[in-house]
Parts: sequence; C-alpha cells; structure tokens
Amino acid sequence: MDFSGIDLAIHIGVVGFAVGLWVLLRRSRRETQRLRQRLESATGKLQNLQLAFSRFAPDEVVERVIAGGIGDIGERKEVTIIFADLVDFTALSEQVEPTVLVGILNGYFDRMSEAISQHRGYVSTFIGDGILALFGALSPNPWQGNDAVHAALAMRKALASYNRELVERNIPELSIGIGLNRGMGVAGLVGSRDLKEFAFVGRTVNVAARVQDLTRQHSADIIVTAALKESLDPCFQLRALPTTRVKGVAEPLSIYAVDGFAGADEAVG
Amino acid sequence: MTLMREIDWESCLLEPRRDPKFERRFRRETGRSSGPVSYFSGTSWIEDATVWFNVNASKQVSIEPQLAGLVGMIVSQDNSCRFCFAETRAFLRILGMPERRISRLEQDLLAEEFDARECAALEFARRFSRSNPPPDKRDLDALRAAGYDELQIIEIASIAGFFVFFNRVTTLFALPPYAKEELPDRWVVRFFRPVIAFLMSRSDHTARLEPLEPDEQEGIFSQVVLGLDGLPFARSLRKTLDGMWASPVLTRRAKALVVAVVARTLGCPLPEKEATESLLDEGLSVEQVDGILAHLRSPLLDATEKVVVSFARETVWYEPARIQQLGRNAMQTLSREEFIELVTVASVANMICRLGIVVGAR
Repeated sequence: MDFSGIDLAIHIGVVGFAVGLWVLLRRSRRETQRLRQRLESATGKLQNLQLAFSRFAPDEVVERVIAGGIGDIGERKEVTIIFADLVDFTALSEQVEPTVLVGILNGYFDRMSEAISQHRGYVSTFIGDGILALFGALSPNPWQGNDAVHAALAMRKALASYNRELVERNIPELSIGIGLNRGMGVAGLVGSRDLKEFAFVGRTVNVAARVQDLTRQHSADIIVTAALKESLDPCFQLRALPTTRVKGVAEPLSIYAVDGFAGADEAVG
Repeated sequence: MTLMREIDWESCLLEPRRDPKFERRFRRETGRSSGPVSYFSGTSWIEDATVWFNVNASKQVSIEPQLAGLVGMIVSQDNSCRFCFAETRAFLRILGMPERRISRLEQDLLAEEFDARECAALEFARRFSRSNPPPDKRDLDALRAAGYDELQIIEIASIAGFFVFFNRVTTLFALPPYAKEELPDRWVVRFFRPVIAFLMSRSDHTARLEPLEPDEQEGIFSQVVLGLDGLPFARSLRKTLDGMWASPVLTRRAKALVVAVVARTLGCPLPEKEATESLLDEGLSVEQVDGILAHLRSPLLDATEKVVVSFARETVWYEPARIQQLGRNAMQTLSREEFIELVTVASVANMICRLGIVVGAR
C-alpha cells in the first residue's frame, strides 16, 4: 500500500495529537493527584486541629464553630473555678534576669497545669503570673468541687517540690494564693472579632479572684467559699476564717482555709 | 498513616487464654474471626454477651446494613477505638471500597456525600456516643423529620449502643489492633478478596421482629429493655443483664455501684434510680448511697469497691492511653476475672445509660 505525502502527514499529525493528548492527560492526572494529596493532607491537618481544639473547648462548641463559623456561642452552666496567683512575684521579677524569670515562670506553669489536668480541670488562661482554671466546663462533672480542691492541694504539693529545685539553684522560693468558688455563669466563645477564646464569665469568676486576694490577708494559701464548701467531701480539713466583705458582693463572704485531706485515699484521680 | 493509627494505644492488659470450645462457638454463631475473644473468655455471661451482641450488630430489622456499618464507624471513631475502627475499615476494604474513599471517610465521615436521611442518623449516633450533652427529644424529632419511624430510631440507638459497649471492651483491655489494621494488605486477603466479598455479600443481614416474652419484660433495668422491645437486641440485653446480675465474680453491690456512678456522670436518672434501689436491696441506707455517690468515697467501701467506683467514672469519657493506664493500676488490686468483669459491667453500664436517655426522651 502506497502512502502519499498527505497521508503520511495526516498519520504523523494523528500520532502527534495522540501523544500530545496523552502527555496532557498524564500531566493533568499528575496535577489532580497532587491536588488530591494536598487536599487530603489539609483535611488531615484540619481533623488534627479539631482534635486539638477539643482540648480547649467543649466538643459541641468546636463542632458549631466548624459548621457555622465563630458566632455568638454561649451556655449557662455550673462550674468550679480555681484562681491562683504567685505572691510577690513582681518583686522577684525585678531581682532576676528576664530569661531566668521566664524559665521560672514556665516551670511553675507546667507543674500547676499538670496538677490541674490530672484532676480533670481545664486551664482557661494564664493572666500574667496568674492561672484561671475551670472544672465542669468542658463536660458535666458532678464531682467538680472535690476535683478542684484536690487539684489545689496537688498544686500546693507540686509547688513545694518545685521550690526545692529553685533553692538548689539559689533562686528564692515561690509562694502561691489559690481562691476557689463554685457557681453559675456563662461559658462560651468571647473576645474581639480577631481574637476569641473559650471562657467562663460571671460573678463566680470575680468572687474566686477576690477570694484569692484574701489568701494574703489570712495567711492561708488555699481558700474556698461557702458555696463550694457545701458540695465538698467532709474529709477535707477546712478551717473557718472570719467572714469578709469583698468588692462587688453585697453580703459578707463565708470563707474557709483548706488545710488538707484526712481521707485515707483520694477517691478519684 | 491514618489518623486512627496515630492514637496512643498501650500494650494489651491481658494475656490471651485459648478456649477452643468458645472460639468455635463464636466463629459458628457470628461468622467472624475469634482472635480477640481469647483475651476475655472464661466468664459465661461475658461470652454469651459477646456472641449475642455481635450477631445482633450484623443483622438489622428495619435499617440498611450499610447504615448500620456507618453508625458503627462513627461511634468507633468518636470513641477513638483503634481496634473497632480497624475492623470496620478491613470490612469495607474487603467489600471493595477503595482505600482513598475510606481515608476520606476516616478524615471526616460527615463531610462525605451522604443524603440528609443518612446524615441525620450519623449525627444522632455521634451525639448518642458523646452524650455531652446527652441526646434529647429534639434529636429524636430530627430523626423523625428525616423519615425514620420509631422502630428504626431504636434500632439506630441500639447499634450505637452496641458500639459504645464494644468500643469500651476493646479499648479498656487495649486489645491489639495491629493485625486488623494490616489485614486488608495481606496478600492472601488481597488475592481472595472477591471471593470473600462475594461470600460476605451473600450472608443474610436481616433479622425478624422479636417481641419480648412476658417473663423477659421484668428484671433489672427493665425500663430500658422494654424501650427496645421488638428488636432481637432487647432479648440479648435482657439475658445479658440477668447474667451480669447473677455472676458471682464481683458482688452485686459492686456492679450496682458501677452503674450508679456511670449514670450519675452522664446525668441519666432512669438507670441511676434502679442501681440505687439495688444498693438499698444490698443493705445500704439511702444516706449511705447518697454519701458514696456524692463523693465517690466512703469507709463503707471495701478495697475492690474503691477501685470499681474510681474506674467506673473514667469509662464515660476517656483518652485510650490514659484509661488503659488506669486499667493497669486497677489490675494491681483486682484479679484477672474481676478486672474483666469490671470492664464489661462498665461497658454495659455506658450502653444502658445512653440507651436509657433515649428511652426516657421518647
């Protein structure tokens, strides 16, 4: 069979077109594959992010944010608050080098956060050298009061251990004031348009902060309110302190210093 | 690397103890591999429950098998159960679902292109499993609005309940998931996959309605069981609860404490009331029960009960590695048989409390 020049050109053209199409298809498939991998990787990262977020806010809040964006999400619930602050930390901050100071502070936060999370608490925020922790905010916890006071006792113990390390390094010991209160408030996403965090707001938090201030006045490192005392295990060794007026609360507060726990063992944790 | 494989998982808390007779029975009645059962065989009610619930989970009265599988997958994912998830994954791979689609399902089950009806069931299953907050009437209304009738609703809840139970059994014992995770990639499985898939697709996935007999309508936690009346699962649950209550391994008081603590944690009044009544029958006063449940501690509790009460609370919401470490601690006080029974009772308690919430909301 004879091929004319035109036939040959047509054949070459068809073959060239097919090869070109094949190359394009291959490139397109490779590109699709690459995009799919990126998409899967991004989805995986998002899923990891969701898991990470669930440590900072209740699952329901995380899902509502994912489904509908950051809107006004809030819920009224009963929570126990720990408000902890270092005593005379400002004076210490003027005595040591900034890098040393940051190291001291980070070591302190690590140990306190560990004590809190071991007892099912959630560190809501660090305020300077202060710590605000919530119990019963992420999931319902009928034993939140006991958990919070056990956490406070664990913080006391952890700080004593940390102080031994600091003394060995010729650094002054730290001392702490912890105020605890229980009550209703609103848990939700609060903040500006650019920066939001899961937080618990209401008088319960303010009272915990005021009670923390009272630790210096009464020379007691852990103080609980009567509102929290009601739900506590009778094995906690509490010492009644004089009723005290605090800013923002009409009635004088009944408060108690926590000396220890007399039970043979801690029930949980 | 899949996300589920990234979950920290302790080495198994139990040594396997082969029981060829039970393993044969398990294979014969469920049609599944008996590998995992050697870890916790030995107590008759637990063996029976394992067989019955597995049979129930594979046969449905009113919903499609594929939906049942997806409900299982989402609950297992929610409970971070590597073992159950690996099993479901292997099942889907053998049935012919591409690895890429399974990975997408794994990364975001609800983002898949399910219809509104399927999505409603999966949303409900996740809420049921999580129970934070527990499902309520609005969740059941959402299922009704999506077209499910009352029987289908309790069947979805019972399948989610089975996985709440089985996820806990496998996670709390830290059953090794590695063989399941690698199963679909074994050359034998890949070679014979079409044959296995054909045989699996031919097996009967339908069950008939089985109303409870009058004598099955009474007993411990009967209100929950009656709420599931009609499903074969209700009968299995009735027999399981009776067997669990009669078992001599842990005292009835210890078992009632487990249920009461789980119910209190979840805020589930129906089972808590029944568990409390059982504790009163066991000789405790109302004040004593209130005291124990208020603080999870009491001089009235013996060494076993102290462990049981602490551990029960942790089984409601957990991270696998942490609950597995707590299990290891509990084994220092309990015998193997007691630990196996504690884990199974706690798993049953988690199931019936969540089912109790649904039954109460109806």
